[in-house]
Amino acid sequence: METLPKPAGQVKLTVTPVSGLADQPVHIRVTGLHPTQLVMFKASLKDERGNLFQSRAVYRANSAGEVDLEQDPSLGGDYAGVHPMGLFWSLKPEKTFLRLIKRDVMNRPFQVTLGLYDSASFLDDSRQPRASQIVERWFSCPGMQRVPISEGRLRGALFLPPGEGPFPGVIDLFGGIGGLVEFRASLLATHGFAVLALAYFAYDDLPKYPMEFDLEYFEEAANFLLAHSKVQKPGIGVLSASKGTEFGLAMASYLKQVVATICVNGPVTISTIPLRYKDLVMKPFGVPAEGVHVHPTGGLIFRHHETNLQEEQNQQRALPVEKAQGHILFIIGENDECVNSRRHAEYAVDRLKRHGKNNGRILLYPGAGHLLEPPYGPLCFASWNLSFPSPLVWGGDTILHAAAQEHSWGEIQKFFRQHLVLSRSQL
Amino acid sequence: MIQLTATPISALADEPIHIQATGLNPLQMVVFEASLKDEKENLFHSQAFYRANEVGEVDLECDPALGGDYVGVHPMGLFWSMKPKKIMTRLSKRDVINSPFQVQLKLYNSDDLHIRLPLAAPKASLTVERWYVAPGVTRTQVQEGRIRGALFLPPGDGPFPGVLDLFGTGGGLMEFRASLLASHGFASLALAYFGYADLPPQLEKIDLDYFEEAANFLLSHPKVLGPGIGIVSLCKGAEIGLSMAVHLKQITAAVLINGPNFIFSHPHEYHGQVFQALPIPLHLVSINALGLLEFCNSFGDPQAEGNRRFLFPIEKSQAQFLFIVGEEDKTLNSKASAEGAIEQLRCNGKNNWTLLSYPGAGHLIEPCYAPLCSGSWCSNLPILWGGEVIRHASAQEHSWKEIQKFLRKHLIPGQPSLL
Repeated sequence: METLPKPAGQVKLTVTPVSGLADQPVHIRVTGLHPTQLVMFKASLKDERGNLFQSRAVYRANSAGEVDLEQDPSLGGDYAGVHPMGLFWSLKPEKTFLRLIKRDVMNRPFQVTLGLYDSASFLDDSRQPRASQIVERWFSCPGMQRVPISEGRLRGALFLPPGEGPFPGVIDLFGGIGGLVEFRASLLATHGFAVLALAYFAYDDLPKYPMEFDLEYFEEAANFLLAHSKVQKPGIGVLSASKGTEFGLAMASYLKQVVATICVNGPVTISTIPLRYKDLVMKPFGVPAEGVHVHPTGGLIFRHHETNLQEEQNQQRALPVEKAQGHILFIIGENDECVNSRRHAEYAVDRLKRHGKNNGRILLYPGAGHLLEPPYGPLCFASWNLSFPSPLVWGGDTILHAAAQEHSWGEIQKFFRQHLVLSRSQL
Repeated sequence: MIQLTATPISALADEPIHIQATGLNPLQMVVFEASLKDEKENLFHSQAFYRANEVGEVDLECDPALGGDYVGVHPMGLFWSMKPKKIMTRLSKRDVINSPFQVQLKLYNSDDLHIRLPLAAPKASLTVERWYVAPGVTRTQVQEGRIRGALFLPPGDGPFPGVLDLFGTGGGLMEFRASLLASHGFASLALAYFGYADLPPQLEKIDLDYFEEAANFLLSHPKVLGPGIGIVSLCKGAEIGLSMAVHLKQITAAVLINGPNFIFSHPHEYHGQVFQALPIPLHLVSINALGLLEFCNSFGDPQAEGNRRFLFPIEKSQAQFLFIVGEEDKTLNSKASAEGAIEQLRCNGKNNWTLLSYPGAGHLIEPCYAPLCSGSWCSNLPILWGGEVIRHASAQEHSWKEIQKFLRKHLIPGQPSLL
């Protein structure tokens, strides 16, 4: 372990920008170290419930006593290699199996404390940092509006970018976590979209354990969004993940006002709870209990149950994606341990092709897990979920997952701009 | 009437049990569950799904589990696939003499479970006892000179082949392997070397004179067969075992489980001579997706030219070696260490070694049927040990038998070669 005398110069840690959007990168640099000195960077964050998340990485200063995370490799810790944002996306909860989710997206940022330590601090938390800086990570931008929605049956929150608009509209659907998750919707709104984060169970007066879902609820949401004065007509997009993709894909299939749908790591069949649309009831596939595998940590792995989608009777129970009039983008993490998303997406795109349609596309990310979120969010490999006594394993390789989040976020915005934003000739 | 049987209901922890169920409906899907509470009230449990045959029977000796904590035909799967309720808890029997682990076996209708949680009472249940001593095995607390530990003797007058049992960097005293070895006819001394009684609280150096004292104590015991003893050792214990085998003629046979062929972190001393240790560059430790520390790549390259001075001169040893390697060991590159040691022996024209290398097995290879511990707290650090549940279990089953065969072959004169 190296313990060196205090260097003659002043150790300086700079982070640029010190306050910014959570999906934007920061540039971290240190000067004033001894040449070739080993140092450790530690990032720590407390979520809104006081849960601590931390990450650490060891770097070697160059001959001028500097470290620049944009070009220098981490030698060890939560990640290795050149990863300027590694300290953010490798954050881990002190209490295993917790997931990091920003709840208050408008009023407060996440505060990440970046500390620079002697490398001897790697396994010793008692030492003081040589320098530290608090970095703010915001989930909304100045001038944005958050409108709580309690119209008819609808429950959620509408995020409007600053300005008059109109803006392309998107409905944001999360998965089996339930409740209302807003941070992806609010971040998407900072990029010029009017986004409705829509809850559909376990929120407000929506049932905690519904017996049935009703696609007309989602249709109501689509019509509500389209009717808003700041939302562009005639069509909207849907961004759905995990269990949410059942509804996203159902909306794409049955509602002509949905012209662009993104499905992130979800099934193309209804799971566990039936979905009704007017007279039609879509029966769910369940995962038979023996189909659930157990990870050495005790976490549950749901991906292995294979619904045979090629079977005639099952084909009729999969969502009729061939009816979709808009475009569909499947974003898949190949290391998804919760859903065999790749199989589902390939089935859907194949089904489209068999019907002579060309409006489906897959973005497949090797190494990425189930919970693909906006960039720089930490990989959540496994976490507690309200319906289960054991944590669920989501999977993912830390570094590859981070790269997938960075790339896919750009693709999500491009896809919506391409299919939602009116070109001159369409106006 | 639904019946659940387990035979024998009380046995050594390393002995198999035959579990069966009868009186079920034909082709009924059922769930077997095993649970135990350790001495600190930590809960461990496992579940497996089976389908009854046409006459409503399930026999774990020949029927496959269809899901749960394991799949396939594994008669003892319920035991070795148990998982702690609190992540990173290792199952370890402390009081090996006075009480067994009590394992509850329960049988449920698969419909009565919702994702591992029972919604109704089990259809049948019973408790089995897993003992870490055979009847008649005695335990004596050892406080002779500097040595601290526990001596386990088989019943009878002996003399018995002597074995020194050494665990790793957790410190304290782990007795369960020594007590099981005694149940199979070995006089076993579970030896502590730090963090126990009046021994140093932290490990600072390895004093081989201390270990020689222990070896001599064992050899001088009236119930211990000479002229040499064996060592069964894991991890840091295996580093010490190898060191002893190099310097001490008293060591006839050394079982080295997932140990290094070099000295790391703490220097060794013997008769005033100091042997340097490879410092571990901690900045090369990697932290996995769940926050556990993976040390296996942080040793640099111990076999590299610049690190040769830390390697054990194993060719100087007169002992027989059994290297046991878990290929999924995430704490140490055990395979490279064993291969490095073997190469050194070969280069010196020696063939006093056997290598048992197990794909899928992790660092903590223990007596058979012990649940895989793939990660746990050790010295306040969350360590990833590695291993895949099913392959680790089969490595434990195979290696435990091989360890005993190896020790008998080399410690008991006139033993036929069974390996």
